[in-house]
Parts: sequence; C-alpha cells; structure tokens
Amino acid sequence: MLEIRDLRVSYGTDNILTGVDLEIGAGETLAIIGESGAGKTTLGLSIMRLAEASVRGEIIFQGRNLLALTEPEMRAIRWDAIAMVFQNVNNVLNPVHNVLEQVAEPMVAHRRLGKAASREKAGELLARFGLPRGRFRAYPHELSGGEQQRVLLAMSLANDPDLLILDEPLSSLDVTTREELGKLLKQIDGHSARLVISHDLDTAARLAGRLAVLYGGRIVETGPTTEVLENPRHPYTRALVRAYPNMTTVKDLQGIKGRMTRPVSGCAFHPRCTQAIARCKTEIPPLVTTDNRAVACHRGGIVTLLSTENLGRSFGSLRAVDGVNLSVAHGETLALVGQSGSGKTTLAKTIMGLHQPSAGTVYLEGKKVTARKKTFYRRVQMVFQNPGESLSHRLSVLELVTEPLDIQRVGSKAERKAKAIQTIGEVELPQDEHFLDTYPHHLSGGELQRVAIARALVLDPDLLIADEPTAFLDASIGAKILKLLLNLQEHRGLSLLYITHDIAAARKVSDRIAVMLDGKIVEAGPSSRIVAAPEHDYTRRLLASASSLH
Amino acid sequence: MHISLKREIKRSHFGQAGLALLALVVIAAAIAPLLTAYDPDQQTAASLLAPSADHWLGTNHVGQDIWSQLLYGARTSLAVGFGVGILGLILSIIFGVSSALIGGIYDQIIMRIVDALIVIPMIIMVILVAAYIRPDLFILILLLAALSWQGGARVIRAQALSLKESGHIGAARAMGAGRFYVARRHIVPDLGPILLVEFIYGVRRAVFIQAGLAFLGIGDPMLVSWGTMMRDAMSFSYLNVWQWWLIPAGVALSLTIIGLTFVSHAAESVLDPRLRGEAVA
Repeated sequence: MLEIRDLRVSYGTDNILTGVDLEIGAGETLAIIGESGAGKTTLGLSIMRLAEASVRGEIIFQGRNLLALTEPEMRAIRWDAIAMVFQNVNNVLNPVHNVLEQVAEPMVAHRRLGKAASREKAGELLARFGLPRGRFRAYPHELSGGEQQRVLLAMSLANDPDLLILDEPLSSLDVTTREELGKLLKQIDGHSARLVISHDLDTAARLAGRLAVLYGGRIVETGPTTEVLENPRHPYTRALVRAYPNMTTVKDLQGIKGRMTRPVSGCAFHPRCTQAIARCKTEIPPLVTTDNRAVACHRGGIVTLLSTENLGRSFGSLRAVDGVNLSVAHGETLALVGQSGSGKTTLAKTIMGLHQPSAGTVYLEGKKVTARKKTFYRRVQMVFQNPGESLSHRLSVLELVTEPLDIQRVGSKAERKAKAIQTIGEVELPQDEHFLDTYPHHLSGGELQRVAIARALVLDPDLLIADEPTAFLDASIGAKILKLLLNLQEHRGLSLLYITHDIAAARKVSDRIAVMLDGKIVEAGPSSRIVAAPEHDYTRRLLASASSLH
Repeated sequence: MHISLKREIKRSHFGQAGLALLALVVIAAAIAPLLTAYDPDQQTAASLLAPSADHWLGTNHVGQDIWSQLLYGARTSLAVGFGVGILGLILSIIFGVSSALIGGIYDQIIMRIVDALIVIPMIIMVILVAAYIRPDLFILILLLAALSWQGGARVIRAQALSLKESGHIGAARAMGAGRFYVARRHIVPDLGPILLVEFIYGVRRAVFIQAGLAFLGIGDPMLVSWGTMMRDAMSFSYLNVWQWWLIPAGVALSLTIIGLTFVSHAAESVLDPRLRGEAVA
C-alpha cells in the first residue's frame, strides 16, 4: 500500500528526517511515536506533499512514487486517496463555512458525488462520529475542541481514502472523549491503511497494531504495538515507556537524560544513550529485523548486562542458592524479592565472587566470568546490607570513597580525590573538607548508606547490586535513597539488582521482579504482571502481607 | 567503635606505673655515657671495691665499674627485648594473617608447625641451640625471634579469620582488592591492639630469656648484661659484694619486666573492657 524508502527531508540546512524506511499494508494501522521535534509531523506532511521542504527518497503509494508526480496529479490524490487529519484543530477549519459544507467539500471537489448526495453522506459521517444533528449547521467557532475534532475525522473519511494520516488525533482531547473517538475510529474501519502520528503512547496503543519509534529523523524500532510497549528493545523506546504515566507500569516515572539535539553524527540517540560505544558516535546503525521486530542499534538493542545460568551455592547439605537463572539488562532494575533466609544475599555474594559458586556460571555481557579480576569489579559493584559494618571505622569519608580508586589504581592521586568528591556530590552529600574528614561513627544511617553508595559508584560500574539498601533506614530516608538510585539509573544507565524483602518497595523501583524462595527463583516477570497477576502461591502470600495503608 | 589505645593505657594506674618504669629504663640506657665516667668493659680500679664516691656501686671481680655495667646492661636487655619483640611480631603477622587469608593446605601446614613449636618448651630449645652456636647479640635476637612467633601467629590468625568475614573486608574484596591489599590496609590495622599486646609479651619474654641465658653462662660472655652480672656475683656470694652487685642487677631486671607486665595488663584491658575494673574510672 504505502512504502517509504530512504526519505530525507530538510528545511534549509536543518535535516529533519535523515533516512526513513516504512511500510504500511492495506487495512493496517501503523503508529509513529516520538518526542516533539522528532520529525513525525514532517513525515505526514511529506507523504501529502505539503511539506515546504526539500524532500528526497521515495514514497511509493499504490505503485506510484508520490515524489515524482506533478502537482496536478498529486492534487487528484490528495484528500481523495490520501487524507490527513491535522494536529491543532483550531486553525484547520474554514471559519466562514458551516461544518456540514466543509465535510462535504472534498466529495464535491473530487466530483465523487453531487451536492445533495455529498451533504447527505457528510451528515452520516458526522453522526457516526457523534456530532449531534443540531450542530451540523454550526460554524467552527461555535464548536468545542472535541466537536471540531469529530468534524475533522468525519471530513477525512469523506472520500473513503486508501490511506489516512492522523496527526495527534486524540492528543488534545479529554480522556473520556479520547476513549469514545478511539473506539469510533477503530469501528469505522474499512479497508484504509492508517498512519497515526503521536507522541502519546496511549493513542498508539489504542489505534495501532504496529508501532514505529522515530528519533532524530530515523526509525529506531518497529514491531507489534503490544510487544514493543511491553518489551522495548531500543533504549529510547524503553525510556519513552518509562516516562509515560499510565496504569500498567508500577515503577516510578523516569525521564530521559539530556535532550534531543541536532545534528548528531552516528546514531542520533547516542548522546542520550547510556550504553553507547565508540562506534555509535560515527556510524549510523541500520534498522535490523529479527522475527517481526526491528531495531536500529549497534549493540542490537538493550544489552543483557549480567546473567546467571543455573547458579548454585551450597553450604554443606544446605542449598542456599539452587539453580538460579537471572538476567539484568542494561539500565534495568531487577528486584530480587524474598523473605530472609531465602538466599538473596548469598546469591548476590556469589555473583560478586565473595562466595565460590558450587554450580553454574555467571555471564557479563554474554562472556563467561571465570576468575574475578579487577576489571569485573569495575563493572559490577555492590552496596552491602549494613553500611555501618561495610565501612571501615578507621577511614574518613574521603578515604572510604577513594579506596576503590586506590585499589583499581585509577589516575593520579589528585584525580582520584576529585573523582571521589564529585561522586560524593552525586549522592547528595556535602563536599566540604569538614564532612570529607568525618569518620563513619559520626554519620547518620542515611549518610552512611549514601557514603556506601558513593563508594560503589565511584568506579562508574554498569551494575550495582544493592542488598537491602533501606533496611536500616526510616521510611523517609529510605525513600530518598531509592529515589537517588532511580535518578542515577536515569543519568548513568545504571543497572540495578535490588535485593529486598519488601515487594511494595520493589514494585516502585523495578522493571522486573524475581521472587526467591528457598534458594530458587519461583517466579519472575515484569513488575506490573507480578503485582497484578501473581502465579506462584508464595508471590501471592508476599503481596497479601505487603504493607498497605488501607 | 574507636578505641584510643594511648588514652586507655594512660588512664590506667597500671599503665601509668608501667610506662614510668619503662621510661626510666629506656632513658638510663639511652644516656648511659652521661651517667657514668667509666666504660663497662674497662678495668678501672682494684677488684671487688665497696661503693664509694668514685664507684657508686663498687667494682666487680675484674675491677669493672658495676654502675656502668648496670646502665649498659639495660642497653643489652632492651636491644634483645625490642629486637625480638619486633621481629617476632612481624613473623607472627606474616604467618598468622597469611594462614587466615590463604587457608587450605597452606593454613594446615603453618598451624601444624605452630602446634609443634608450642608443644616443645622454648627455653630448652633456646638453651640447646644457644649452647651449640654461642650466639652474639645479633644472632641471639634472630634465634629468639625465630622461636617465639608461634603463639602470636595463632592469636592473630584467629582474629584475622573473624575479621575476614566482616563487612568492610568483604567490601574491599568486592572492589577488586587482592589479599595483600586487604591484609595491609584492613586486617593489620584492625589488629592494632592485639599486635601491641603480643609485642609487649614478646619483649618481656625476650628480656627474661636473655637474662636467663646469660645467667646460665650460655651466649657471649663478653656481652655486658644483667644476667652475666648476676652469674658473676653469685660466685662471690660468700662476700658481702652481693649487696651492691647482685641486688641492683636483679632489681633492674625485675623492674623492667614489671614495667612491661603493667603496660601489657593495661593494654589488655583495652581489648576486653570487662577486665577494666575499678582502676579505670
């Protein structure tokens, strides 16, 4: 139906789209999502040949390249075979004609129907989109925003277009109208292919079967809507999902670090990406399809940072950790939940190499970890359960935070000090001399935990294992620590293995939850699923006994 | 908790007394040439003189000044004591900490050696070996150090084993620290008070054994020491020279050992607050 190949659009020297490839089949709805400024609207306008810009590439519609057509040929297609509903309803309708005439106009203009017949059909369409009959003769300024949108939707379907482009069709509407129009749009189906353009994931999820994520002028991920939203593969898609308030996700909202900049060499997302490698700065990643999903990323999408295979640790006949398979993706929080004695800490220590595993393997970015060398500890760090115990009482705050750098022999002495002080600031602790010279026994529980976190972060690890980081803190301080960890995740792409007995806390900070009982993982999955539809009895018991204020 | 060793020792009456005694001996040894006009080896006057203005404690059987011998004897005792104390402690740390951290067969071997050394009475070993090799001061220190680390090593190993499981050492290992770093930066400093007590034990034992060996006539007969003085004086016990020859040497040795005992007692109470009692208010 519609095939776009290597579409490049620029306004003067501003390259808005830098090589978009898309395909929409007949009867299919594809949603393009992305932040404001990603080039979504430009894409729609380019298809309509309404973009006042230099457009290159190919837009093949029903076998014809629209970009090669003359303007009269294009005019025959526009508003006939291809219709578009514009964003910003206020400016689109003509203020001097009533809405019925305006809906009928495309039919008359393309000589599809006579005047009377076209008015009748227009009335039918308006009625289907829920505009009361009495309002047909109203002028645009007499209508509310929701009613204007109904008119525009009716107008776009007037000539039964083969391709309908909907630019933010539901975004400016209140939730109930949005719900109603969303349903209507799905009902009034027909054969048309639809391209929904939106920054709003909800709109996309409601209307579209497939999703394409646009960033920096290129498609970074495509796939079936539910799959993409549930299990995003591109770091940008995941960040979008995390930033979007909705009723499904249980984790706290997280933003995306930095802001969209142009122009960017290499992968457009690399300045904001937390897993970028050198290649991302120079080479544009192609969109690679596997199964029915496609992702444009040099690293093949979100990287699995750490995984364990059948990991076990026994003490005599006691199997403290028994055949555990886990994986933590880059920038993800995995909560390991279970009661005390279930083997959580032993598992963490076994991953860290503080216990020798009795069975199984640990993989770091797919590579088997054998002897734990210094390089391993640069990438994986741990915050221990009791900060008072894990911090030596003989070292000052500065010495404590510098110690990992000393051990790893990073930089010069002055550089280490500067790095330590910077990290101390990052965990929101004072950086003055007095505080740096303080010894742990003069610090509060919250401060101790922050020092412990700073010490773990000073090496810029990719994965932080946090063992009950709030167990010794009161609720308010504990909340601040968790918030801090989430902020660090947003800014550094830190992966977290968050160990807790508290499933209520886990659901607020984790993308996925793994429930541990007697050394085994009994259930694992997305936090929202585990919380809403637990499968294992023990998970249900945990949920039933979790803190509740009602 | 932060324990200030210095403060604890100073607070205790035993500690104060012990430190005073030790200070007295150390100062006497240090400024010996200022306190006497005579060389302890030199034959200055007639033998077996009674105390006089010239010779405060008289002279011995070969006419050496006994006061000078007493002062320089302190040097020998302290040299052996502190020399053996330090070397023995270093050996204890090396074997104790490495056993705890490395473990396995290495630990087994070291601990069996320790057991063997503890079972065999050290004094007898020292007497036998010393009788054969007739050690000078330096060799004597090495010999005593080589035979006196086992007890300390066992205590240090036990402590290091429990420290090894403590949080901040786990944390250091999780930063990628090697065993040597953990031992140097964490375990040895954490052992601080124990090391002090072990060190003072070692010093005391060495002072005592050196005096004993000299008294038995084993070792370098030319070395001026309290043990030699007592041995020589004993040969003249039928005269009344023992009053200014035997007794001062015996008292000096006793005071040194008492001083060390008091300090170690005070230091021990730091390790175990239950021992503090009323003396430490």
